[in-house]
Amino acid sequence: MFEFKNVTKSFGKVRALESINLSIESGEFVYITGPSGSGKTTLLRLILQEILPDKGQVIFDGQDLSKLKIKDIPGLRQKIGVVFQDFKVIPEKTLWENVEIALAVSKVPEKDWKDRIAHVLSLVDIKNREDFFPSQLSGGELQRVSLARALVVNPKVVLADEPTGNLDWDTAEGIIDLFEKINKEGKTIIIATHHQGIIEKHKKRVIKLDKGVLTFDSKKKTEDNKSVKSDENKIIESVEPVKK
Amino acid sequence: MANIHVKTALNNIRRTPFQALSALFVLMITFFVTTILLIFVYSSNQVIRYFETRPQIIAFLTDTATELESQDLINKLKSDSKIRNVTYVSKEQALEIYKNATSENPLLTELVSPSIFPASVEFTLNDLSYAEGMITELKNESIVDEVGFTASLGGEESLTDVVARLRQISYYIRLGGGIFAGFLLGTSFILILVIMGMRMTTRRNEVEILSLIGATPGFIRSPIMLEALLYAFTGVFAGWLISLLIILYSTPSLLKYFGEIPILPGDTITLLSIFGIILGIELFIGTLLCLVGSFIAVSRAGKKK
Repeated sequence: MFEFKNVTKSFGKVRALESINLSIESGEFVYITGPSGSGKTTLLRLILQEILPDKGQVIFDGQDLSKLKIKDIPGLRQKIGVVFQDFKVIPEKTLWENVEIALAVSKVPEKDWKDRIAHVLSLVDIKNREDFFPSQLSGGELQRVSLARALVVNPKVVLADEPTGNLDWDTAEGIIDLFEKINKEGKTIIIATHHQGIIEKHKKRVIKLDKGVLTFDSKKKTEDNKSVKSDENKIIESVEPVKK
Repeated sequence: MANIHVKTALNNIRRTPFQALSALFVLMITFFVTTILLIFVYSSNQVIRYFETRPQIIAFLTDTATELESQDLINKLKSDSKIRNVTYVSKEQALEIYKNATSENPLLTELVSPSIFPASVEFTLNDLSYAEGMITELKNESIVDEVGFTASLGGEESLTDVVARLRQISYYIRLGGGIFAGFLLGTSFILILVIMGMRMTTRRNEVEILSLIGATPGFIRSPIMLEALLYAFTGVFAGWLISLLIILYSTPSLLKYFGEIPILPGDTITLLSIFGIILGIELFIGTLLCLVGSFIAVSRAGKKK
């Protein structure tokens, strides 16, 4: 689904990402982790085409995003649901309207709005707050609104930038459970987080970045381990007859 | 889909009522002045046309002139390129004109019959320099008894002078009115630009969010443009309606004051048709003004990002 080929991105003299090579398959649940300034958000911004790489390619569904025309960027973003650390809900709109606007943006027929919003609000468990304004909601509820807005358009992939950053442990757990539930429905989930507790509790693929460099990929490690194990087996098999 | 944009536009208006009111008032005043100016243009044209079509030369025919001879003279005059607006006034019509003119004194009309009024042929000259030659020519016609000339030759108070002076006054009023209306239109344009610019600034956070969830520039612009259109329609309609009510109220007095000069149409349907055309023109101008103003404001806000 996503492929980063030798992607480098700098902001002035600061190197945000350095020769990143990785791929994320459809339906995967991936944590991108690392300390602040490691390049997690830059990675997500490259996917969303908020910024362009200095070098390399970001490929989504076989399409090189750096070759995407400006007029096609809204179309790309409509396929991706995004959840932000600071929620990014529109303060002047009610919870219902905040979710509704995503449907309007994606040109979903108006007759379907009511059912889809009702479904997604019950999924994230905030149905009884639909007429509330953001100022009347807690941090956890706002994050659920952000998630509901991302999900209501039925995106292929959901990106979340520190979705639990402003939440207590229990609420954060609840949000991650929701992501798992959505992932089980077949959606690709990419979460940028430095919440080690969450990462350790939910055993998923982990990609670690440090100062813009990919330092660890649990998927690669597993594959490497598999290949090391199979090599060991071959050696043992070849040695065993001698032992005998 | 359009509903969500209309809802956003109405919410924006409701949340900043004073900005909305200032936009509406300026547009209303602009289009009130514009409507009055356009009505003035119509009326001044009517006045000029009235004076221009007044008969300058009247040829009174002899009582012995037959209908055929009169028709020959009319045809001859009509074919002359120096002459326009040739009209035949019969004895009966002459009596009617006399009766109307002396309607305040019935005794004068009781004593007259059509036979004492001569039939006449009236016409206007394209240029008063032809007048002398034309009068001489007419006097030679056997069926012409006398020739009357309503404009004095070379005199300051000739009809041509009056028309020229009217034209000049009308030109200056139109020019002054046009400049004033242009100034008001400019003010409206700048105000729309400022209000829409403010709207974009207050919506910057929302615009950023919308852009991140995949909204097209058109989607982001739509509520702002709709809001501007609402101002345009309401402002134009209010300004136009006030002018219409004032003109409708004052038409009887104006028609009475100007007498037979038709500065405004006497019948309501024609008057309303004229106002309908003006409304159409003003809606077009107002829409253009607000759309261009809001488009520039949105584009400028986009660049500032």
